[in-house]
Amino acid sequence: MAERWDRARVLALATDPASQRAAQALACGGSWPLTGAAGGNALWGECQGTAATPYRTAIELSGPAYRCSCPSRKSPCKHAVALLLLWADGAVMVAHYAPPAWAAGWLNTHAAESSNAPAKDPAEPADPKAALRRAEQREERVASGLAELDRWLCDQVRQGLAASQQAGYRHWDDIAARMVDAQAPGLAERLRALAAVPHSGPGWEGRLLAEYALLRLLAVAYREQAALPPPLRDTVRSRIGFTVRRADVLAAGRPVRDHWQVLGRRDLDQERLRVRRVWLRGRTSGRHALVLSFAAAGQSLDDSLTVGTGADAELVFYPAAIPMRALIAARHDEIRLDPPPGEEVAELLASWAKALGEDPWLDSWPAVLAATPARSPGPCLFDASGDALPLHPGAGGCWTLFALSGGHPLTVAGEWTPRGLWPLTAWDEGGMAVPL
Amino acid sequence: MSTWQDLVTASLIGTERAPVPPVRIPGLPDPAETLLDPAETLLDPAETLLDSAALLTAARRAGRPAGHAEPLAAAGPDPRPLVSPAAGSRLARMLSGEHPDLLTEWLAAVVDRGVRVPAQLVPGLLDRARRVSPADPELRRLAASAGGPRARWLAGLNAEWTFVTADAPAGEDAWRLGDAGQRRGYLTALRATDPGGARDLITASWDAAGAAERAMFLSVLAAGPALGPADEPLLEGALGDRADDVRSWAAYLLAGLPGSALGRRMAGRARRSLRLEAGPRGTRLIASPPAECDASMRRDGLAPGPGAGRSQLADRTHLLLEVVARTPLRTWTDSLALGPAAIVAVLSGDWAPVLFVGWSRAAIAQRNQDWMAALINEALTGRPPAMPAENGALSQLARRADPAIGAPDALAGPEPGAPLAVRAAIRVLRFRYEMLKELDVGYSHG
Repeated sequence: MAERWDRARVLALATDPASQRAAQALACGGSWPLTGAAGGNALWGECQGTAATPYRTAIELSGPAYRCSCPSRKSPCKHAVALLLLWADGAVMVAHYAPPAWAAGWLNTHAAESSNAPAKDPAEPADPKAALRRAEQREERVASGLAELDRWLCDQVRQGLAASQQAGYRHWDDIAARMVDAQAPGLAERLRALAAVPHSGPGWEGRLLAEYALLRLLAVAYREQAALPPPLRDTVRSRIGFTVRRADVLAAGRPVRDHWQVLGRRDLDQERLRVRRVWLRGRTSGRHALVLSFAAAGQSLDDSLTVGTGADAELVFYPAAIPMRALIAARHDEIRLDPPPGEEVAELLASWAKALGEDPWLDSWPAVLAATPARSPGPCLFDASGDALPLHPGAGGCWTLFALSGGHPLTVAGEWTPRGLWPLTAWDEGGMAVPL
Repeated sequence: MSTWQDLVTASLIGTERAPVPPVRIPGLPDPAETLLDPAETLLDPAETLLDSAALLTAARRAGRPAGHAEPLAAAGPDPRPLVSPAAGSRLARMLSGEHPDLLTEWLAAVVDRGVRVPAQLVPGLLDRARRVSPADPELRRLAASAGGPRARWLAGLNAEWTFVTADAPAGEDAWRLGDAGQRRGYLTALRATDPGGARDLITASWDAAGAAERAMFLSVLAAGPALGPADEPLLEGALGDRADDVRSWAAYLLAGLPGSALGRRMAGRARRSLRLEAGPRGTRLIASPPAECDASMRRDGLAPGPGAGRSQLADRTHLLLEVVARTPLRTWTDSLALGPAAIVAVLSGDWAPVLFVGWSRAAIAQRNQDWMAALINEALTGRPPAMPAENGALSQLARRADPAIGAPDALAGPEPGAPLAVRAAIRVLRFRYEMLKELDVGYSHG
């Protein structure tokens, strides 16, 4: 049997907090007249809910993959998460009998499929000529889309931004949709996010102007890309939404082997897409890396990088002016690492300034501070020199951070952004990482 | 020279109506020598404004100065050892919705052992305690106590948690001046340290107290240390109270009081209602429920039966159940000359569910661990529960019985296909056993 997971790992698979709660209620309510485990990686169970017939849930742990007869479109559904919780608690016994027919059928088919499954990355294009033609077409579409965006941006400041506060989401959704048509999804995402800016509190005008200005800078940079140094050109193209195939990243990049420590994790819900940002820090190199994973809404995100763990691994960085996004090319051993060394505020601001010089569109930067939280003049962190940085207003009360600190200094990791620090992880007195 | 704010103002008005102010970018030459002086460029003013804003944005972000903070006074030290990591994750599980009803028991055990909870869980704990009714301050008191100095420190920062420090009127002031919750808290504490003093305080305050407060007095007695014979006169008097609620609390407490007159009256009724009979298929329990509910029975808290439609139990069945629930359990072991395990295993046909529920209530009210263990064992290994009230009784037993019953070597796993209520009870017992066991190992000092 596979090594049992702990509950945190199981709960992290749930698609949303409501699903977590529902699964926990199911896993302690005695609703499972039948459960079993077999074959190393298979779990199954029948959950008696309000329906006349029980729901039948089967799980293949190695994927993991889930199947359930319930009508939920979430994957895993609450029944699958509940069954995993029961298993994590040791409440699912290894069966002395074969799985029931309904589970056995799926488990067998699934095992066969996954062993033959092709890699997720798109294969090499079958017809190189056609691929080249498609690529050229895309460049043309993006170029005309960016020209349109540039005109739209200029129209906004020509007419004045004062009207934006009355404009509905449509105002930005329309131009975002045109960027989707122009095959520039990165811009579309950035534009959609702008709809919230006029309602983001005092100073919104300045934040909107800054975003418009940086978008025009991106349009101009794309137009002039031939004149840019290659790494900056890669940054511009990736911010517009050109993707680099995983295989190409791995082929072109040089693996960086280090003891990579998971500093923090942040999940963002975008339209129809969930993004997980995991920040890593190499212990020997002191280098930072960002590993992104994606899932469709309602699907669970990759959970292989858990806060508080570390791995001896080889990363390959995507080409960029500031190489930060990375792929895990090879993973060797799990290792336990001490808390990372915390910087002073001045060091963070200096590295941030230097990075902005390379990539002016940068809007998040890994921060590890040795600092103390305070609440005045606003929620903030200050270091031993007395330098303070605000906490991000969107991060809420940050009560876990305050509780851990009790007014004493501690090590905090987070994302530094133009609006403030978004705290993600703090280390407690015993050196354990606590997700915030 | 113009500033960022001038640019923002121009962008708000629009370049159709407002001129674009020339801006100086720190580190770059003056605008007169750059393309960014609107007078010098051939660009559209809107483009000039956006380009200036882009440069200035990058410059402002990169040149951001650090601010200053007002440090907070640090939280006081908490010398208590930290609970084990397993106990910490147990608390996190309960706070995220697993067996939330066992949190009070867990916290009481934490406070009792003089340990502290992980600091990062204190906010979640205080949020949970904040949501409970202020009239039942037990969870709040325990949360504040388990959270210790860190909880008090946090309460000073977040107005929602002021209950941690607001239960301030101490000593007799809490009783004289406090609200309902504070009076309850004072009485609970007094009962724990000086049961007689608490009883005298209740007796002295009885006549002036409203019905809700009289019920509160009795519920404090129910939750506190075991009752003694000295408590009986107060409770006998309360049997004649005007308020239903007070009468039923009094009857409940007297039924659980060893040697009480009410218990003796109930035992008389019970012996007339139930007898052992040896038959061809072994010994059986034969029930003959009370025919009617007379005035003395009503005074002892027996209700004439459920309202129509509230229960499937007929009136007489209901009366039997109520009588059994209030009868001292020794009545059965004495009169039937059998131990609890043997009694609950005797075949009783259709009466079995009624007797199970009645004995369960009695065992809980009389805090009789032998009976609780016998009933749980019967439910887990014998006849499966047959009516909803049995499921409820089993669920209560699992929460009140000695958690040692949940030890892995004491409790067999559920049989395949066991009823849901049985599986749930096993899970609760295991959970309680494990959560208390975790508190007795692995403290880290410091």
